[in-house]
Amino acid sequence: MSFCLETYLQESENYEILISRAGFKDCKIIIEEHSPEVIHVKAGEKILGVRIIGIPPIAIGIDEEKGTITLPYTKPCYGTSVVELPIDEEEIKIIKSLNIKN
Amino acid sequence: MIGIGDDYMKKALILLGCPEAPSQTPMAIYAVYQLTNMGYEVTVASTPSAMKLLEVSDPEEFYVKNKIDIESCLENLEEEAYDLLIGFVHKDAAVSYFVTFYHILNTTSLAVVFEKDPDLLENYVETIQENTNANLVSARAYHNPTPLRVKFDRAIKSLED
Repeated sequence: MSFCLETYLQESENYEILISRAGFKDCKIIIEEHSPEVIHVKAGEKILGVRIIGIPPIAIGIDEEKGTITLPYTKPCYGTSVVELPIDEEEIKIIKSLNIKN
Repeated sequence: MIGIGDDYMKKALILLGCPEAPSQTPMAIYAVYQLTNMGYEVTVASTPSAMKLLEVSDPEEFYVKNKIDIESCLENLEEEAYDLLIGFVHKDAAVSYFVTFYHILNTTSLAVVFEKDPDLLENYVETIQENTNANLVSARAYHNPTPLRVKFDRAIKSLED
């Protein structure tokens, strides 16, 4: 079964919230400063089973050493949070292939 | 709009944000009313709480006939699935949602931006203008929907022309 971010965040505690209830621009800065590697994706790109919401190009942080990605997570009434969570190597490869700029 | 000798009905999607701004629900129902009169089949995408406000305001679905949860709508959204996108924007998250829907749909769009704080209002307007080619109306509005309604009327009239 493929990974689903919504279910993961509901059922697991193995993730870190770097900021919550924030503005999207601040979240982008946090992702870019926090992550050793950053890729950028289109608005609405599907990552880990959900469409990523935000102002494109949307920064997604990758830490291959830790095996984590860091991404923005937006809800209408709660603003944007930045979540870092572990994912496997295959998923990291898939996410890297979505990069729209170098 | 229904064309002569053609059964195609144009489809409009109205995107609602967090329902805490009092102007949003009446403006949403008003927008559905106006767009329906213009011949659109209108769907409203919203959070469950915003949908609850619509359901109580329009219990017999006299105006709002098609409602969908914003997350399922986004999940299944495809390019040009709607002929018109109208987004109500009064929070940072609503800016992100509108810009995302705009880029996926790639269709005629109108952002209706309202906020009582002038700095936030300007920030939302600038972000949308920098990241989309959407039409946009904005007003310092919170409780009173009138300034927004007047600008909305002008904007949708110009979309028709």
